[in-house]
Parts: sequence; structure tokens; C-alpha cells
Amino acid sequence: MTEASDRNDAVQGIEGVLLANRDRIVRFLQVRGAGDAAEDLFQDLWMRLTERETGPVAELLAYVMRAANNLMLDRYRSTRQSERRDQAWSDATAVQGPSAERMLISREQLGIIEQAIAATGERPARIFRRFRMDGIQQREIAGEMGVSLSTVEADLRKVYAAIATARRRFDA
Amino acid sequence: MHDAARTAAEAQAIDWVIRQRDPAFGDWDGFADWLAADPAHASIYDAVATLDEDLEALPPVAAPSVVIYPDAQRRPSRRAWFGGAVAAAMVAAVALPNLGLFADPNRIETAPGEHRTIALSDGSKIEINGASVVVLDKERPRFARLESGEAMFHVVHRETDPFVVEAGASRIVDLGTAFNVVRSAKRTSVAVSEGVVLYNPDRDKVRIVAGQVIDAGDHDAKPPKVRDVDVANIGGWRTGLLVYNGVSLNVVAEDLKRTAGMEVTIAPEAADRSFRGALIIDKDRNRTIADLAALSGTKVEKLGGGWVLTR
Repeated sequence: MTEASDRNDAVQGIEGVLLANRDRIVRFLQVRGAGDAAEDLFQDLWMRLTERETGPVAELLAYVMRAANNLMLDRYRSTRQSERRDQAWSDATAVQGPSAERMLISREQLGIIEQAIAATGERPARIFRRFRMDGIQQREIAGEMGVSLSTVEADLRKVYAAIATARRRFDA
Repeated sequence: MHDAARTAAEAQAIDWVIRQRDPAFGDWDGFADWLAADPAHASIYDAVATLDEDLEALPPVAAPSVVIYPDAQRRPSRRAWFGGAVAAAMVAAVALPNLGLFADPNRIETAPGEHRTIALSDGSKIEINGASVVVLDKERPRFARLESGEAMFHVVHRETDPFVVEAGASRIVDLGTAFNVVRSAKRTSVAVSEGVVLYNPDRDKVRIVAGQVIDAGDHDAKPPKVRDVDVANIGGWRTGLLVYNGVSLNVVAEDLKRTAGMEVTIAPEAADRSFRGALIIDKDRNRTIADLAALSGTKVEKLGGGWVLTR
């Protein structure tokens, strides 16, 4: 099979999944916070998924649902950013860099989050970094560190909770 | 939503974010059901999930940890040094996060406003302020060099094996203690909060006891004079309370940069103002700078991402 027809198959596959699961996806977008805009966002999702080049995808529906979720995250980000543009202060402290305008937190806040991670203790911080920064799956981390899977889970929850708590202070 | 319910919902959102990081995650219907259970869930999830995305900007960890062996004769192999296979030895490990991929694993560099604590294998601890560089030596576990910036050392004393801190041309030898060191512009300042340290034992032999501070230039002809300082204010950067008893505003500006990542410029005509007072590093940095301006009799103006103090 040629590369071009592979790609065609992938697009057709995605269109097929979008059509067959239209109601399910629209309902997901609705509960995900889109409300009345869910139908419009389904169209956006359609454009996103059929115009973009995609490699072979194993679970097409899971792939589409993840894309729908990411679409909503992007929307949330844009809304938060336009809210913030009215506040000169957060603008002035925003992170400098290529992805700076997409970030919702400043470099300094990132530093505070790093501290919050470190403060959870050496093992949780290490497990978190392996999971989040190195992209290692929980089971593998458990094996690597000689702890149980439930310990890894509990540590990850603990670190994320600490991060969320630190994050909440920025808004206060 | 009540606070308790909100916290519970946030914990659930965190669980979804963790599960969704698995590329094989497929329970989107379960996720939709959770979202449908309460209209507040979507925005709680949004906040946690975008925060998780932003963590991408956290610095990667090149060498997950550095193991410092108290016994120098037992040379660790390169593999043991960098490897993740030394899990058993990790108890005594020093975690050195925030190192670039090819950075020297013994060099710890902090960004302005970033604080970091390093635990050494002998039980000693180094708290590093922002915009600072500390270098450790795997061959010499009882040694650290403060290349620039500020750090608070909590040293486990060993009679026959003193801990030595180098800062520029200065050598600080502990005699059982906790002390704060600032290294900037060819000057070294040492403030002792517990115990005793010996400053430049080969040359100046200045004993600094708890509640004392010295401030020495690299090219000073005479040994530095010991002054008194309130122990409670030593290493105040760690708690966000900076107390001054007559220093130039430039010194305060340097401290604010290290401690809070704040860019404060002192206009030349205000540079000779001496500052006395306590500054709290407020979450709202504008408040901290307003306090500084009010206490020092200067005016504050915003400049780019920072501030300028003028008379």
C-alpha cells in the first residue's frame, strides 16, 4: 500500500468514526462545558481531524475523544488568556519564550510549583518526574523503584494535589 | 460548591488527568458521566488539566540523582553514579533536579526566585536561594562551593572532618553549625545562626559565632570585622521575610532578585540611600515593592517586567 492511500484510509476512518459517534461526541462536548456551542464545536473538531495529517491510529474512537477533550482545553486556555489580558500585572510577569503566550502560569509560579513538588518528599517527587517529565508508565515506575503500583498511584495523587494547592494560591 | 466538595471534585479531576496521561486510556464514557454528574466538574477539570499541560515547561531531569558516598576510597563507577539501578543507594542520594541534559550533574543552578533544598549524604542540608550556583564534588562529600548567589548551610559537624564551603577566595570551615553565605560581586558575606564557623582558617582565622556576620571583599587587606546580627533574621529569604539594618538599596534589589525573581533597578540618585526595615515577600509583588518604596523614601515606577526606584 502506498503512503497516500494509507493517509486516505486514516481520514476516511476518522470521518466514519465521527459520523457513527456524532451524538456521543456532541454529548461529551456538552458535558465538557461547551453547552449550546457543542454542535459548532463538533464542526471544529471535524475540521481539525480531517485536515491534519495523522499517522496510523490504533483506537480511532479514543483518538477522536482525546482530540475533542484537547479542543475544550484549548478553548479554556483562550478564554482564560483573554480574561488575563485585562490585568497588566500577569501580563508583565508572563513567561518569556516561544510558548509563553499559551502558558497560564508564569516562570516564577513554575518555580513555586517545583518547590511544592519537592516538598512532597523525595520518593513522590521522583515518581512524579518519571511519570510526568519522562513519560514513564506507572507500572514501569513501580518496577524501577521497587514499590507497589498503589504506592506509585498514591504518590502521584499526592504530588498533583500539592501542585493544585500551590496553583490555587496564585489565583487568591 | 462547598470547599470540601470542591476538594473532592478536584481529587477526582486529578485522577482523570493521571489516567488520561496513559496513551491507551479509553474510558471516555466514564469521564463523560463524571462530567455530567455536576456542572462544576468541567471547569475544575479544565484548571487541573491545563495546569498539567503547563508542567511541560518544568525543567527536565538529566541525571535523576547523584549519589555521594561518604567514603572516598570506594570509587563509584560511572554507571552507579548516573544509573537508575542504584535504587538501594538512593536513601543517601542527593536529588539534583533542574539540570540541563548535558549539564554538570554536580552543579546546581537556580533561576531567580527559585529555591531549592539539597540533602547531602552525611545528613547536612543546603538551602539554595534563587539566581545562585552551588557546586558539589563527588570526591569530597564534606565540601561545597558557592560560585554566586546565596545559600544556607545546615552542617552536621564531624570533629575530624570539618565541612568546608568555598565562596570566591573565601573558605568557611564549620565547627558545627548553620550559616548563610552570600556571594556577589567579589564579596562574601557569612552569617551564622547556630554554632561556630572559622573564616579563612589559613589566612584570616576569623571566628564567627551564632548571631554574628562578616562581610569581606576578595581583595581586602585586613581580616573582616565581625558584626552582630539578629539570629532570627539570618537566612530570612527562606521564609520570605527580609530584615535590614542599614544596607544600600542595591543590596536589597539583589536579594529581591534572588529570593523572589523580582527585577528591581535602583536609579543612581537613590543608590546611596541606606535601608532599614523588614520586607515581606508578598504574593502580590507590587505590595512588596510599594513597602520598599515607602520605607526607603523612594518612588516606584514599573519598567518592563520589573520596577525602578527613584528619588
